[in-house]
Amino acid sequence: MNNSFINCFSAEWIKKRRSFSSWLVLAGGLFVPVVSTIIFLVYPKQLMAIHNSGHFWEGLFQKSWQLMAIMLLPMGIVLAVSLITQLEFKNNTWKQLHASPVSFSNIYFSKLLVLILMLLQLFVLFNAGIWISAWIPSLLISEIPLPMYTINFGYILRENASYFLCSLPMVAIQYLISLQFKNFLVPVGAGLALTIGGLIALTWKYIYMIPSSYTALYFLQSKDNIAPAHDLQTWSLGYFLFFSLLGYWLYISRKVKG
Amino acid sequence: MYCVETRELSHGFAGHPAVLNSINMQVPTGSIYGFLGPNGAGKTTTLRLLLGLISKQQGEIMLFNKTLKGNRIEILKQTGTMIESPSLYGHLTATENLLLYQKLFQCQRSRIKEVLDTVGLSNTGNKKAGEFSLGMKQRLSLAVALLHNPSLLILDEPTNGLDPNGIIEIRDLLKKLNETLAVSIIISSHLLSEIEKLVTHVGIISKGSMVFQGTLESLVNKQQQNASLVVDTSNLQLSAELARQFVPAATTGNGKLIMPIPAKETIAAINHAFVKAGIDVYEMSTNKKDLESIFMELIK
Repeated sequence: MNNSFINCFSAEWIKKRRSFSSWLVLAGGLFVPVVSTIIFLVYPKQLMAIHNSGHFWEGLFQKSWQLMAIMLLPMGIVLAVSLITQLEFKNNTWKQLHASPVSFSNIYFSKLLVLILMLLQLFVLFNAGIWISAWIPSLLISEIPLPMYTINFGYILRENASYFLCSLPMVAIQYLISLQFKNFLVPVGAGLALTIGGLIALTWKYIYMIPSSYTALYFLQSKDNIAPAHDLQTWSLGYFLFFSLLGYWLYISRKVKG
Repeated sequence: MYCVETRELSHGFAGHPAVLNSINMQVPTGSIYGFLGPNGAGKTTTLRLLLGLISKQQGEIMLFNKTLKGNRIEILKQTGTMIESPSLYGHLTATENLLLYQKLFQCQRSRIKEVLDTVGLSNTGNKKAGEFSLGMKQRLSLAVALLHNPSLLILDEPTNGLDPNGIIEIRDLLKKLNETLAVSIIISSHLLSEIEKLVTHVGIISKGSMVFQGTLESLVNKQQQNASLVVDTSNLQLSAELARQFVPAATTGNGKLIMPIPAKETIAAINHAFVKAGIDVYEMSTNKKDLESIFMELIK
């Protein structure tokens, strides 16, 4: 990584300070754990059932990922990615950015790296939130035992890595669309249509070709312990590379840059 | 020696008539070049082309004797810009806005405080740029342009939104930068009066064509050439005949005698001849066109 890219990345990282997208990462990462905590406080039996399953952390992890993988994560990606690129359109800053002595490649890929790191932040927050959602009810309600089980870090890391990979195509697609349109509603509308379309088509035999469904699809496979017919991670990586490079080509080919 | 030079630069947007027709812009190094023209004349398009914000269609663009293509980053390292309305991140403070450009320009961090002091925004604290007045935003945009000590400043209507005091301050600042640090400046405006006290050179663009380019002096000379002496007398015909003995180009119009301004001794001699011939002289005045009216004539 050259110095210019690092500086460009640092500048992009500063831009997200106090931005709505960074609040969205915080809210998105903690939403499900907070809701789970409230549910466990109101209905302690639900947490007790997970305690009694014999695989506490795996069970809680699966339960937490349910809503996240199917709906919240793809929608969060759509919103957060659109908001990050919208910063330039809304503030009329493309022209100043493009008149700065940095290559267009550095601008494009540093923004993409910021998006990927934000996704990583969301995953860290989400996992920390899952852990906290197990402890708070146990500490507040005496009938619930403390979750003193060994955490299967190998399983947690593997699952997180799979969900992370399955999220990447949506990041690249949304980034590509968001860079093309000044009107915020266009990329958001397109992203939501892709997400909902993916959910509607979940039972379709060629669903593995629709990248917006990958996190949901992975969750269903993982939950039912079904051996996947297609390697979603490989497809994800392929789609991610394809759309990232296509987005890059469209970005540098733009005749008007501000 | 020119720091900016274009040759036969033409540009048009699809489905519209050409915005620029064969622009040959020459900005001498160390000058303050006023780029003038009415709204929609093509000023901003020219400046955006200079910075590579729009792909060039025809012609050649040279900055610091290098073509923009292939030398973009090297050229932009020496160029500070402010194009049209302020480009600032509204959710960040003035310092944060400058901090991110400091990263992009790879200049000293101490420059942030220096430029904030220069533009008078050092006391804005945690106030976000989105909460600034238009004048403050213009100043901050100027601070961004100055951050990396550029040797060329390209400023598109930088005094928009500034109060009269602010305009004078910015004008003084630009003059100082030009005189002390030899910074070349291109400053666009649609008002000659706004920049005539600042610029050394002028380029006037109208309907996509350069209609005048040269030093401010040469524009002032144009003003002198267009001046005339107007005389109102009791006998127009006789006074015209007498005046032609001194100034052959003397004519009549609107019931008055009109001639190019002669030497002051000639004016006295003409007046003496009129009195000797029994002609009453009611008025003798010069009709000088000011720079603004010459500018208006050029852009018609």
